[in-house]
Amino acid sequence: MKNARDAVLEKYSAKVYKNRKEHIVEVDREAAEQKIAANSRSVPGIMTNRGCCYAGCKGVVLGPLKDALVLTHGPIGCGFYSWGTRRNKAKAEDGRNFIQYCFSTDLQEPDIVFGGEKKLRQAIKEAMEIFSPKSIMICSTCPVGLIGDDIHAVAAETEKLYGITCVAFSCEGYKGVSQSAGHHIANNGIMRRVIGTGDAAPKSKYSVNLLGEYNIGGDGWETERILKRIGYDVIAVLTGDGSIEDLKNAHMANLNLVQCHRSINYIAEMMKTRFGINWLKVNFVGIEATITSLRETAEFFGDDELKRRTEAVIADELAEIAEQRAYYKSKLSGKTAALYVGGSRSHHYQYLLRDFGVKTVLAGHEFAHRDDYEGRCVIPTIKEDADNKNIESITVDVDPDRFSTFLPEDRRNELYGKIQLEDYKGIIPDMETGDIVVDDLNHFETEAFLETLKPDIFLSGIKDKYVLQKSGVVSRQLHSYDYSGPYSGFRGAVKFAHDLTMGLYTPAWGLVTPPWKDEPMLVGTIG
Amino acid sequence: MKKEISPIVSLNVNPCKMCMPMGSVNALCGVAGCMTVLHGSQGCATYIRRHMATHYNEPIDIASSSLTEEGTVFGGEKNLIKGIENLIKLYDPDVVGVSTTCLAETIGEDVPAMLARFRESHPDMRAKLINVTSAGYSGTQFEGFFRALRALAEQVEPNNCPNGKVNIITGQISPADTRWLKDLLSEMGIDAILLPDVSENLDGTHEAEYNRLKSGGVTLAEIAQMAGARHTIEISTFAAEEYSPARYLLDAFGVPFTRLNLPVSLRDIDALINALKSLGGTVTERLRRERGRYLDAMFDSHKYNAKVRAAVFGEPDFVYAVTGLLAENGAMPSVCATGSVCPGFADKVRAEVEPLSEFHLDAGNVIIADDEDFEHIEQYAAEYGVNLLIGSGDGRRVAERLKLPLVRCAFPIHDHIGGQRVRTLGYDGALTLLDRVTNAILSGVEETFRENLYEKYYKGNSDTKVTGNKPVEKHPCFSGCAKSSARIHLPVAPKCNIQCNYCVRKFDCPNESRPGVTSEILTPRDALAKFLDVRAQIPNLGVVGIAGPGDALADFDLTRETIRLIRQIDKDVLFCLSTNGLLLPFYAEELISLGVTHVTVTVNAVNPSIGAKIYSRAEYLGVKYNGETGAAILLANQIAGITRLVAAGIKVKVNTVMIKGINDRHIPEVMGAMKGLGCEIGNIMPLIPVVGSAFEALDMTNAHEIAAARKECEPILTQMYHCRQCRADAIGTLDNDISFKFRNAPQPAASGATTLFAVSSESGVLVDQHFGHTKAFCIYEYKNGSIRFKENRKVPQYCTGEDDDAVQSGKMAAILKTVEDCACVLSMRMGDSPRNALRAKGIQVYTTYNRIEDAVNEALTALQSRR
Repeated sequence: MKNARDAVLEKYSAKVYKNRKEHIVEVDREAAEQKIAANSRSVPGIMTNRGCCYAGCKGVVLGPLKDALVLTHGPIGCGFYSWGTRRNKAKAEDGRNFIQYCFSTDLQEPDIVFGGEKKLRQAIKEAMEIFSPKSIMICSTCPVGLIGDDIHAVAAETEKLYGITCVAFSCEGYKGVSQSAGHHIANNGIMRRVIGTGDAAPKSKYSVNLLGEYNIGGDGWETERILKRIGYDVIAVLTGDGSIEDLKNAHMANLNLVQCHRSINYIAEMMKTRFGINWLKVNFVGIEATITSLRETAEFFGDDELKRRTEAVIADELAEIAEQRAYYKSKLSGKTAALYVGGSRSHHYQYLLRDFGVKTVLAGHEFAHRDDYEGRCVIPTIKEDADNKNIESITVDVDPDRFSTFLPEDRRNELYGKIQLEDYKGIIPDMETGDIVVDDLNHFETEAFLETLKPDIFLSGIKDKYVLQKSGVVSRQLHSYDYSGPYSGFRGAVKFAHDLTMGLYTPAWGLVTPPWKDEPMLVGTIG
Repeated sequence: MKKEISPIVSLNVNPCKMCMPMGSVNALCGVAGCMTVLHGSQGCATYIRRHMATHYNEPIDIASSSLTEEGTVFGGEKNLIKGIENLIKLYDPDVVGVSTTCLAETIGEDVPAMLARFRESHPDMRAKLINVTSAGYSGTQFEGFFRALRALAEQVEPNNCPNGKVNIITGQISPADTRWLKDLLSEMGIDAILLPDVSENLDGTHEAEYNRLKSGGVTLAEIAQMAGARHTIEISTFAAEEYSPARYLLDAFGVPFTRLNLPVSLRDIDALINALKSLGGTVTERLRRERGRYLDAMFDSHKYNAKVRAAVFGEPDFVYAVTGLLAENGAMPSVCATGSVCPGFADKVRAEVEPLSEFHLDAGNVIIADDEDFEHIEQYAAEYGVNLLIGSGDGRRVAERLKLPLVRCAFPIHDHIGGQRVRTLGYDGALTLLDRVTNAILSGVEETFRENLYEKYYKGNSDTKVTGNKPVEKHPCFSGCAKSSARIHLPVAPKCNIQCNYCVRKFDCPNESRPGVTSEILTPRDALAKFLDVRAQIPNLGVVGIAGPGDALADFDLTRETIRLIRQIDKDVLFCLSTNGLLLPFYAEELISLGVTHVTVTVNAVNPSIGAKIYSRAEYLGVKYNGETGAAILLANQIAGITRLVAAGIKVKVNTVMIKGINDRHIPEVMGAMKGLGCEIGNIMPLIPVVGSAFEALDMTNAHEIAAARKECEPILTQMYHCRQCRADAIGTLDNDISFKFRNAPQPAASGATTLFAVSSESGVLVDQHFGHTKAFCIYEYKNGSIRFKENRKVPQYCTGEDDDAVQSGKMAAILKTVEDCACVLSMRMGDSPRNALRAKGIQVYTTYNRIEDAVNEALTALQSRR
């Protein structure tokens, strides 16, 4: 029998086959190393699920910042389509909550011909008059880059004129090859202009930032709840329910916890260089994963009381969910799942599925890089192509006044390798022989793998959701949790298991075969 | 006289529209075997797929040419070719729609030429390529939709051999409505071609096997046959002619066409049925019964529909159609807005609302506007007293903030399921929609009417709304959500009856913002003039406050007179005042009857020994009390007064000045006591140590301390976090005090000048007649500060109920001639069209019910503030 990978690839023309075969890996644990092609251009016309640079910058990283007025400079569509699309939740302390809003300069044909800077300035003036935000983030769309509006100059002017923080992001949709370029551009802007501009001291020495947590379905809140219970002071969250005002003080933390490394590792690295803050790869999706992350965080601080407290909280949280956990495990155990999310999350959710005895047979990624697949160690071997070089990579210097590293060097060296300090594993080494890993999984491949791998559950997004349902497979959106959530931490894990169980066991699935299919129809003529 | 809404021109806040490619893609989904590729960066395709999938609950496959920086610089032809090739390889479609995006149009891609080259280099290709020019900045999804239809009509090789068919062209109607349309055509026996036909493609079935290329839709052969049809019915009256497929079919092939409104109102459904009948269709008995049932249902629900004051928003055809439905059913479409730029929109929609003016007091109170965003729609909805929203799911944020029900019946609907099954067309579809509208109102009535009736009739609280909805909190200080509504503080109360150790009222610093500060003291008359002046310039002025600079109750005559004067002119504005509470027990009843809805009481201590440190003196009933005695009297009166206000349903806010070392630890106790009295919200404010005050040497309370205190008190009493410690003469929104713009009082009319007023009066004493019933105007003259009666002037009675348009406009011309030298016409009520006719002549309109002299005085003030 042909393996799943070959069965899918054979439908392609020679040219496309050549391209796509590099992006699909069948895991082989015996192999010394398995390479994958990633972060390169999508094949046109192939129904990629990827979004654009603007989506990564405005939609993913900046969108969840509640107190920043994010202004899309461009025609109306881009702003409209990125309006609250990840269903981020936020709670504002001072009434400045722009999460529910969409702001656009709504460029028209004359603006494209004569330039849109004037309209941008005027829009900012109006935004100041109506909403008086403390910060404005300007995001540009495709045509803006082409007509040459200098949004950075307008941002600088705005800061002078109104005395607020105003940062411009040149995140035109055509830049890079996916959302990933937009993450990087957003990281650069936040690092350059926001982080390190405040000076509020942390309340505790166990001060951390939570990076790459976008609070989908309230995930960030569950994670923060647990961290606070143990006694951590969470200074800033990037960027779920995040606040620019908090971000300004992010450099005061003693440790950066990195959840989604794909979208935010740039900031983690730059903060390490500039302020001496170490970062730790964590994953609060999955019960065991959460426990590991909590223990490693405690290990970093190395305090016995903190470790004791960590264990006490873990025990308490586990006791709370024990009954549900066992019940749902009995319902889900033995099922198989396919995952298709962005960069890091197809890895994260495997831990959660494993908690309930569900095996992941297919992991697709929209915009991961090779290090997400193969491990952080491959970064030096990644060759930059023209598309990646177009995305500015900034270098930061040590800030001599504020550089401070919590751990002494010898202690750090002791921890490297022992915990995921400044390191993350790839997904390929973490899966089993025969499992499939796909970069930039497209629509056609999704259908093809459904046929060959026959997963019971497919966790993906809205663009696949209805294909999956029409194919008779239970789906769950991981970009919005279908209005449910949180799925992180302890309580989130059982919530997830509940949702999966309800999906799988819905009686309606039993009705899809019409009765006349099972019974022989009367065929023939009378007479 | 309605206020203008803030003129936002460059910033679109919460768009009520999408881009052209969205419309183009939607239209192409109604073509059989069609796959679409968007020429641009891949985000466009991804975003649009997401939005369509969420609405239709169907897989939506849209490819992208995935332009990157290289393609942007060197041209995207290579990508487009690859994209089309791959699409054909994987899907084998009959049609490939190629829609452009902002990016492709901005770099000037010549797509028709590229497609021509593609056809040449792929001679064996089966698929028909269709090119749609759709830059996102050139229009909305509404225009994009028709551009795609026009492109199909133009680019498919015509088959103009006469075929006896009828072309039916629609805008973006739902799959369920499309199915209804097809059933109707087949029932009436009309052989029709539907462009587009989304009935199956955007609302598919569950089959044993999923097929990614959808099977429904209008075929290429059918599109070709449109050129040979005998007639075209285009169900859109707003699409531009240059993108009208019907127009093209007439110009190119001589196919005559009829344009019809979306069949939602009974009139427009009848029009469609009649058009089909005149094309040889049969009106079946079933159809007749369906119409009869619809009529029957209209009468069943008409008594409830009269409660409706709806905001309708969406594409022009949709808004027009729903407005017609509402008007037919006696429901008031108070706000009609579209996101598209649509020049004829206002006039056409207004004509639909006009019949309501025959019997609806509110008929003049309607706003119709194109090129709008949800920020404006929300403001309109609040201002025009809307109790129901009708449109796309994007209205949900307005619904949430204003606590209004939303009938979701237009694309896109993201927060509910079933967007693909929405029914609005035909007798049964319109009835479905009408039932949803009626029931949305009834649900609200059912939930609240006992409480409301009790409040209104038993307790006599006139403020209760009978709309079936909870009154929306419009006061910016009482709700962080209402921050955008503006308020004016009128400094009419200079006196105070206690001395607080932190207060000095003699200062005026125009840049300083803190309670007790003002640049001028106004008399009640001046205050009215200022209010009118500000109202004319600030659209969302919803609240009048009296915040000193002294105590609003210390000289209550001034406060009372100010409120009374303003209430005569503006029935909707909210009144609030702030007081120390010393005289509250005396005036609580009067405040209630004056219609004050919000009162702020400053309570710094609930323990006289602490109070004594804050208040040096209280003057009560002519006696000065110092120390604890004064503080105790103050406290007792605060408690008695607040209790009375709360019992009458007035919202009470407690202000507490946090003074370190004096009452900072005592504040939770204050909040607890106030909660116990039924106060709504507490506001802890920092001490501002003003020079010259007894507390000038104390530390200013800092923001961290305030935040900590608020946090501590939040569980006790809801806290206000958005206090800006406004001046006593602040104007604008909390975040934007623009009082400095209004510091000079309006100028009186130049002496010697004469101003004439034409008054509709039956009694000769009151302004008590409808404009339309007036047979003679009383002319009043204002000269040198006095008003006197001048003469009566006869006019033809405008409304007799029998005249046609021509006769009416003749009468209007005569009336205009008669009053042409008047500055203003005063009537009890006036319809929109005479109102507009008068305004067009520069004559102002003032509607009121009042003594003539008083009314002329008010009108004069309003005129002056306008100048």
